[in-house]
Order: sequence, then C-alpha cells, then structure tokens
Amino acid sequence: MRPDNERERPRSTASIFGHPIHAMLVPFPVTCFVGAFVTDIVYSRTANLQWQYFSIWLLAAGLLVGGLAAMVGFIDYFGDSRVRRARPANWHMGINLLAWVLSLINAFVHSRDGWTAVVPEGLILSGIVVLLLLVSGWLGQSLVYRHGVGVEE
Amino acid sequence: MRLLSFAALGTVALTLAACSDPKFDESSQVGPDPVLPEPKQYLLPPINVAPGEGWQKGQTPVVPAGLRIQALATGLAHPRMVYVLPNGDILAVQAKSPPPEPVKRPKDPIVALVKNKATAYPGGPKAASRITLIRDANGDGVPELQVTLLDNLHSPFGVVWIDNMLYVANTDAVVRYPFEPGQTSITTPGTVLTELPGGPIDHHWTKSLTVSPDGSKLYATVGSNSNITENGIEAEKSRAAVWEIDRATGASRVFAGGLRNPNSPNFYPGTNTLWVVVNERDELGPHLVPDYLTSVEDGGFYGWPYSYWGQHVDPRVRPQRPDLVARAIKPDYALGSHVAALGLTFYTGTNLPAHYHGGAFIGEHGSWDRYSPSGYKVAFVPFANGRPSGKAEDFVTGFLDNEKGKSFGRPVGLAVDKTGALLIADDVGNTVWRGSSAAPAR
Repeated sequence: MRPDNERERPRSTASIFGHPIHAMLVPFPVTCFVGAFVTDIVYSRTANLQWQYFSIWLLAAGLLVGGLAAMVGFIDYFGDSRVRRARPANWHMGINLLAWVLSLINAFVHSRDGWTAVVPEGLILSGIVVLLLLVSGWLGQSLVYRHGVGVEE
Repeated sequence: MRLLSFAALGTVALTLAACSDPKFDESSQVGPDPVLPEPKQYLLPPINVAPGEGWQKGQTPVVPAGLRIQALATGLAHPRMVYVLPNGDILAVQAKSPPPEPVKRPKDPIVALVKNKATAYPGGPKAASRITLIRDANGDGVPELQVTLLDNLHSPFGVVWIDNMLYVANTDAVVRYPFEPGQTSITTPGTVLTELPGGPIDHHWTKSLTVSPDGSKLYATVGSNSNITENGIEAEKSRAAVWEIDRATGASRVFAGGLRNPNSPNFYPGTNTLWVVVNERDELGPHLVPDYLTSVEDGGFYGWPYSYWGQHVDPRVRPQRPDLVARAIKPDYALGSHVAALGLTFYTGTNLPAHYHGGAFIGEHGSWDRYSPSGYKVAFVPFANGRPSGKAEDFVTGFLDNEKGKSFGRPVGLAVDKTGALLIADDVGNTVWRGSSAAPAR
C-alpha cells in the first residue's frame, strides 16, 4: 500500500488488510430490512403471528448490525477528506441514517400487541426503508466503483 | 390517510416527551356507564411502576375516620389471597410467579423486567408458593399461632373449603386435601380434581376459586394468555373465562368467557348470582379500558379479545369476530382504568358501620400502563338489592409513597374474618392487614 499522500483514491480508514469493514457489514442490515418488509407483507395477508415475530427480530438484528456499519462508515467519512469530497458521500450517509432512524421507530411500532404492530404504520415504514436502501445502495456503489473509495491501487 | 398516520405518529412522539397523562375526570370511569375516550396506540406506551419499598415498623395503610387498621401477620412470602375457615382460622395464600414464559419478541423480556421491579422490595422476604394458617381465636387482631399449612405448591392463588375438603387452585390444577377446621397441619398429599391451563405460556396465571351456594360446584377463574392475543388465539383456548367444576367428578366446562383476567369469584350473599372483578386490556391509553366488577351469566360472553365494554371493537385483533362482538355483554360496574382489580369480597359482617353492610370491597393492586398511578387501594362499592347502588369510594389507601414514587405495599385478595373485620393480603408489604371498627372487637 502506498502512503496516504501519494494515493489517488480515497482511503477506507476502517479496514482490515485493505478490506473496508463498512462494505462487509452493510449486507446484513440491508438483508434484514428487506426481509422485514417481505414478512410484513405476508403478515398483512395472513395475520399469522409467526411473520410478525420474524419482522421484529429482523428489525432488531438490522438495527444492531446497521448501527455498527454506520459507526464504521463514520470512521471512513471522517478519516479521509477525499471521501467527504466525493459527491455521493453526504447523500449516502444522510439517507442511510434516515433509514436507520425510521427502522428504529418501526421497531417500536412492531412492539405493539396484535394486528396494529404491522398494519398499517409498520408495513408503510418497512416499505419506505426498502426504497431508501435502494437509493443509498446505489450511491454507496458510486463511492466505490466511481470514486474508488477503499479500492487498492 | 398515510399522511395522517404519520402526523399521528409525530404527535404521539411529542406527547411521549411530556410524560404525563392527558387531563381526564377519573371519576367518570367509575360506575355503570363509564366515559370511554378514543383508543390510542403508542410507540412507547406510558409506563410507570412504583417499585416496592416495604412498610416501616409501626407504619400502616390509611382507613376512614372511626376505623382502625393493624397488621395481623407480617413477614409473609408474597401473600396474595386470604381465606377464612368456618372456625375462624385464616389462610394466607402466598405465591411466586410460574417460570417465565418463552420469549417470542424482543419486547417480552423487557416488559417482564419492568413489571418485576414492582413485585417486591430489596431485602424483603422471597416469594414462596405456600399457605400459612393464622389463628386469632380471641379475635383481638393479635394471632396466637402462625404456621405453614402447605408448602412447595405450584403458584397457588384461590382456596376454598367445604365438606371437610380444602380445595387449592394452583396455576395448573385444582388440588384437594382432606382437612378439618382446627387442624394446623396437612400431611396427606393432595389429589388433582381438575387440571387447569398452565404453562409453558401462563401469562395471567392467578386461578381463583369459590364454591356454589349449594356446595355442588366450584368456580375457577382462568385469565387470558396475553394482553390482546399477541401469543396467538390458539394459546387462548378455554382461557379468559370462568370455569365451572363439578365437585364430585371433577368434570369442567367454561361457564362464561370473554373475561380477560377475572379474579375473586364470589356469590352475592343469599343469591345464586356469581360476581367477579376483571382486569381489562392495556396499551390503548391511560384511560382505556376500565377494569370492572360484573355479575356473570351462564354462557355469557364479555367481549375479550374482540371488543370491550360491550361493542367497542379492539383494532388489534385479527381475524375479527363481529358475531361475538354482537353478543358481548356490557359489564355491570366500571372501577377505573388500569386499577388492576384482583380482590373482591362482599361484606357480610356487622363490625364495620352499617354503611358498609352488604357492599363490595375491591382490592386494587395498582397500575403500570399510565403515568399517574391508579388503584393501589381498597375501594368500596355500595350495593342495594344485590346490585351496585352508588359511587365507589376509597376504603383503604396509603399504599403509595408519593414522595419517592414507590409503594409500601400493594393490596390483592380480601376476606371478612369471623369478627367482621376486613382482611387484606398485601403482596409487596408481605403483610395481612385487618381493618375494623376503632372499638376493640367484642
């Protein structure tokens, strides 16, 4: 690895042997939050409580690992000014934070008892979060594939 | 519509920050026709439990002027029910909760933790599942004998004696023991008369007991297995009900249903009408749903889970059952929201002033699902012609330590002793209290 000041590409500060940790963690919350939306849809159509239980555990796991991914993301963001200068970075961070906060609210909604734990607010929140993740995922990919954040030189 | 939901969510988040209940005339929810506000749903329901701290030496709850209250027995292990045998001996039923129910959601262990905070006080006696016999033969309120009658039971609550047989309602079965009043020990093992719904989920686990006026039937209460069916409707089979048990054969049937958590069944003296107090559902707001005192009809359905106070449909239950909602019976008398009415006894004595004769005393264990505490007292409901006939009033208060936001004790089961004094099981204070006329009993 070349020293920082000779690098052309932005560095991932939080990395293990050159592998950015953020990229390792991010698939977990994405999978969990998409999964919660799917199980919410199934619950809203069946009223079978097993799907509601799936949803709240998926939300809880997504929030936990998503929180870790965010912390590592902050380290990358503040660790190299070239990351901050990359245009999609602010939007990627902002949208992901919004998705995390909405999921936290969603977890409280999902902790109600019975049908209204999901329908309608829980289901709507889960859907919005999936849309947000699609956008922020696109932006995150731009950071790597366009701007080369954390890419080996 | 969606926008509205989110606007509502925002408002809820704001009220949450305020941490106080909206202004409401609490007395409008006491009586036959309670005011019912619109149901509210929360991100975080209002929660305020008063952790136990126990009584200082010599400290007592408060009774109306002209009456007195004294500790009949102290140092008990979480006493929940009191019962008076024909010879005047008093049974104090103590119970520890059954093992925790399986965790289904991240919420479950958190709620359990919050509620457990308010069931005992640090350094106090540990809960045990036992029945203690207390003898106060001269009726002066100072017992000559306090002895363990039965120990290592399965979370007992109700107890009733008839025809030289003591029936104990454990959380999973009605068990009977041959027993003659006067006895101070039981050595013969009990035999199961009828099994009751117990674990592994055993949400409302207190099973209380009474016997029909003719002595042929027992009535056992079986509480629901959830707040509002969040454990699945299949977990509610034969629950939220009063069971009728044939004393000779042990055969049982559901006598009445739709009663979320019924307790302390009692026949009104001189009638064949059965009354219970019922704990209603949580998490619809600080002023929903009022707990109540009601007479129970054979085959009657009282709403839970589908509706409350008659035909008010609960939006949290799926599938809905309009057919059952249509026949849901409106209860007789509201006691206030979240008061947690667990104890009921009709006053059959003469020691207390005439005002109390024939009325109902209600043990209100106290609220958790609202900011301003409700309950934490023994209330009195006057009766005339076998029906509630006026506003409820406070009878025993002073269980709350308002300064510290803690509780000295919490009242549960009630009974009238042979002198006509009112006995009160206090499960946090680990005491049986005795309320009587100020003049010493005859």
